[in-house]
Amino acid sequence: MSLRDRLSRLTGEGTKTPAPGSRQETISELRQRVDALMTRREGISRGPVRSFGPAVPLEHLVTGEEVEMPQGRFFFSRSRLEGSHVHGLHRVCDLASLSMEAAGILAGSSELGGSNPTDALFLDTETTGLAGGTGTFPFLIGIGWFEHRDFITCQLFARDYSEEKAMLAFLGETAAEKRFLVTFNGRSFDVGLLAARFILNRIPDPLAAMPHLDLLHPSRRLVGHRLENSRLVTLEEFVLGLKREDDIPGQEIPQRYFDWLKRRDGRLLEGVFRHNRLDIVSMASLARHLADLLESPHGHPHAHESDLLSAARLLLDRGRTDQARLRLEALADSGDPDVALSALKSLSLIHKKAGQWDRAAGIWEAMVSRDPLDVFAVEELAKWCEHRSHAFGRAALLVERVLGECGTLASAEQQALAHRLERLLRKASLTGP
Amino acid sequence: MAHVSLEEWLARAEGNRRFRENVTALKHIPASPGSFAPFPGWVHPKLRAVMEKRGISRLYSHQARAVDLVRDGRDVVLVTPTASGKTLCYNLPVLQKILEEPETRALYLFPTKALAQDQMHEIHSLIGELKADIKTFTYDGDTPDDARQAIRKQGHVVVTNPDMLHAGILPHHTKWQKLFSNLRYVVVDELHVYRGVFGSHLTNVFRRLRRICRFYGQDPVFICCSATVANPKEHAENLLEKEVALIDESGAPRAEKTFILYNPPIVNRELGIRQSALTPARNIASELIGNRIQTIVFATSRLNVEVLTKYLKDTFREKIPSDDHFVSGYRGGYLPHLRRAIEKGLRERSIMGVVSTNALELGIDIGDLQACLIAGYPGSIASTWQQAGRAGRRAGHSLAILIARSNPMDQFIVENPDYFFTRSPEHCRVNPDNLLILLHHIKSAAFELPFEEGERFGREDLLELLAYLEEKGVLHRVDQRWHWAAESYPADEVSLRTVNPENVVVIDDTVAGSPKVIAEVDWDGAFTTVHEGAIYMVESQQYHVDRLDLERKKAYVKKVDVDYYTDAMTYTNVKVIDDFDKKMQGRTIVEHGEVQVARKVVGYKKIKFYTSENVGFGDVNLPEKDMHTTSYWFTLPWDLLDTLALRREEVIDGLLGLAYCIHHIAAMLVMADIRDIDRCIGDKSGEWFVRHGKGKRIITSQPGAPGPEVMTDAFDPTLFIFDAYPGGIGFSELLFERHDELMSAARRLIGACACDHGCPMCVGPVLEVGPAAKEASLRILDLMEGS
Repeated sequence: MSLRDRLSRLTGEGTKTPAPGSRQETISELRQRVDALMTRREGISRGPVRSFGPAVPLEHLVTGEEVEMPQGRFFFSRSRLEGSHVHGLHRVCDLASLSMEAAGILAGSSELGGSNPTDALFLDTETTGLAGGTGTFPFLIGIGWFEHRDFITCQLFARDYSEEKAMLAFLGETAAEKRFLVTFNGRSFDVGLLAARFILNRIPDPLAAMPHLDLLHPSRRLVGHRLENSRLVTLEEFVLGLKREDDIPGQEIPQRYFDWLKRRDGRLLEGVFRHNRLDIVSMASLARHLADLLESPHGHPHAHESDLLSAARLLLDRGRTDQARLRLEALADSGDPDVALSALKSLSLIHKKAGQWDRAAGIWEAMVSRDPLDVFAVEELAKWCEHRSHAFGRAALLVERVLGECGTLASAEQQALAHRLERLLRKASLTGP
Repeated sequence: MAHVSLEEWLARAEGNRRFRENVTALKHIPASPGSFAPFPGWVHPKLRAVMEKRGISRLYSHQARAVDLVRDGRDVVLVTPTASGKTLCYNLPVLQKILEEPETRALYLFPTKALAQDQMHEIHSLIGELKADIKTFTYDGDTPDDARQAIRKQGHVVVTNPDMLHAGILPHHTKWQKLFSNLRYVVVDELHVYRGVFGSHLTNVFRRLRRICRFYGQDPVFICCSATVANPKEHAENLLEKEVALIDESGAPRAEKTFILYNPPIVNRELGIRQSALTPARNIASELIGNRIQTIVFATSRLNVEVLTKYLKDTFREKIPSDDHFVSGYRGGYLPHLRRAIEKGLRERSIMGVVSTNALELGIDIGDLQACLIAGYPGSIASTWQQAGRAGRRAGHSLAILIARSNPMDQFIVENPDYFFTRSPEHCRVNPDNLLILLHHIKSAAFELPFEEGERFGREDLLELLAYLEEKGVLHRVDQRWHWAAESYPADEVSLRTVNPENVVVIDDTVAGSPKVIAEVDWDGAFTTVHEGAIYMVESQQYHVDRLDLERKKAYVKKVDVDYYTDAMTYTNVKVIDDFDKKMQGRTIVEHGEVQVARKVVGYKKIKFYTSENVGFGDVNLPEKDMHTTSYWFTLPWDLLDTLALRREEVIDGLLGLAYCIHHIAAMLVMADIRDIDRCIGDKSGEWFVRHGKGKRIITSQPGAPGPEVMTDAFDPTLFIFDAYPGGIGFSELLFERHDELMSAARRLIGACACDHGCPMCVGPVLEVGPAAKEASLRILDLMEGS
């Protein structure tokens, strides 16, 4: 008996649609279970497939050409965005004047400092899945860079798995001309995935060692607090002032490629190319936007004050205290009371750390006089009274009031305050009135 | 009262008539001197110094042989008793190679996380003493994400388990480039654990591992260790698919040991009921522990561990109220720090008694105990010796007592001491080319590296399987390479250990609006335990099953308090599709081959507690479960059976009893869980089969076919023992080969059983198989022999 027959018997395939209740039905039940076992997660995301009419060649829909390398061939598409082009809130020519110092702060790496914006390689891949591991295939690699006032995007496309090696070799050569990498979530996804594919194809990996600005983390940090999520399309809409139309949902992309392999219909992929190109350009826009938040005290004219606050805190974490202080001082006068309060808090801590006690205490006093139940200010002020000005009685009064009147204290907070109060009262009684 | 020593206690016990009556065998295994060899000249002086500091100035002969073979690049399997220094056989050559070539990498595989941890500590302390820059890590599901990268790049020795290798390491092999590019050794301990489904999967994991190693230009040496089984070399070669050198003569000295087989007394002869194995276990353990003889008790279930621990704690709470940890339990599910504390307590002898599941069977270091009680046969002779080995490792007299339960396997072992003591009858079997298993791993392998023209993977036609997967749309072929072309992560779709990874969740719906998950039942068990109308019990609370939703894999139950439990009535129907081989054995035709098995739960009985009265029936409407698998069977023509001058019903009862008995013995021979194989009486065409009806056994035609539920001459009864896994796992062929042995074992077991008309220890409960079963089954066995 042939292997195929044995397989179809084991899986119950090849049986006709059974009458209900018959033995055949139970065979197909087994088959369903075996199938479920074998292909549990396949076929969930079969997106809408455009299948009317004859296939349209890809070249008719996407400008590009075949490139020949010693390792084989692949499809290559290149386009140029003129400097005068407007992408959301930004003009393309403005994107290139990105501050490298700010980029270095965003990346948390000093290696970017000596580079120019034209040394950046923007990179984003479209893949056959998100599962990770060596079996996920990046079939479309989008890269971009600044050229004078313009922005260039190139898309490297493997029309089949057999074109991967040439595509990767080309990527390797291009990357060698650039000095650092800019991605969105590339640190945990694209770069690792490409590393695996370079190894599988036995080609040296130029990306792994390049300095890398992954925009996802600074985006979360600077603007994520006011967004539902930190996906690139969300950032585009609420930060970069760009609304995509007709964009293909990311989860449909793998199946589109699998369908392309079978049908070679360019219509399946046209949207994928567009999606990928937009991702690349938006990364350039996002990089400039985030850098601006760090760079100028007022940020971009469209910047939210809460974003600027986050930016000031990032500067503080990166050891740029003076810059942070200037930003915070400006924000302390904000019309948004939450922003102003947070800025004051951070400022007071900068002063405290610098040993400028009077300035710090001044802020706390102001905060307490505005809200006597501000736990942070009361606690800091109480510490200051206790250890610096030795005004134990004053400190005890402040703490006692919070303990008595503030109903929202966590029990640990309450305990700590009670403990402090007890000590203050003891010290107060020792030193007398 | 003064304490007695183990020798004194034994002398008293042997003199005690009531104890002696229950002993079916008492064997003194004398001490034997070791056989030694010097360290080979190539051993690094630093390594040698560390060994000598530990008091190892020379090697046991088997260690010397093993390390030399490994040094020569040979794959080895080592079969020697517990505490014969197996770990040195791999740690020595591995560390030696790392000292010589610091880039060297080694992978250690253990079947459990606990064992992996234990071995990690062992090699870690060796490395500490070596003062060498050698890094060793465990890598399993508990390894924190931030530690993983360092382990992949820096770990010289990575200690893990097969599941992690399968789903966590191989599919990410590029992240492990450093390891695979330098992988010289793979250590596989507890090789005998990898049999049946697990072993069949592991063989394929090794195919994938070696495929990845080839990609990185490596061909590592495999160092395997196994407990004593009948076919260690064959088993190792089946798993690794290459020639493996066997080392099975231990050079380790052996201390004196007394091994007792103990069969608890019969308390109801009519029904053939014996005293529970837990009772003597408790009594003997109390005496031993009371005399400060450090004792380990192995129980067969987590529940039994808890029950026995409680009994023993109660006993000693009165005597030694200050020390609640004098006796302790130990099982999976205890938190790691508690387990470590118990292990330490045992080594330091602050804990004098421990009750454990088989969690302590494998090589976790708990020091040298003096006595070991095994309350219930652990399912294989290999496991029994491993458990017994926990008592008395190097010096001094030790004791092991195996206490039988009331089932055929336990009874056969204690009533046939020669079988137990003289040879190992147990075979490890795998069937890595089971099509379903093979397909899973071909998918995983394709995910890891595209398949190329001319590659080999397994013994089936790879091209055809690749074409099949291409057609299913998960592989894509271009330029004679097959690429993974699906979004999924195939290694996640299969579990190496279970037949069917799907579970049914049991949900308590008693309080409206706040459903609570109270248990999980495996897929196959769900049909018989949580069908609608069943009484499901958790910790002696009864629940009534209101609804079983198979599609969503949920059973909804409500708390009830009733005086009955339910017992599902099922039928199994086997139809022969293809016979692979047949032979005439005595007057029977014995065959094995491929079969189609249909199983269905048709109803249930309500059985009253204590009286076991049948107080009602219910119908169940669940789909029939259908599977293709392999089976071994033999047929008894009516012409022959009629010479017995028994009534037809009595013959059927006899066959049912025989099937019960053979099923249990077969499981023992192939080291399978009793649920890994199953049985059926029917005819080869699958048209007629025997099933349990309401209160009686009936022969029935297959559902749908016309035919009354009556006795019929139309079929010659056939007894099937089949693999309970789609596609089969290789047990059937082995049983076919060993048919004679099965029959004579069945004869001995039934013939020697003390019951009157059959009992759970021989042919099954008399209420199920009928009063004639025992007698008839013996006569059928005689008839088959032709006497």
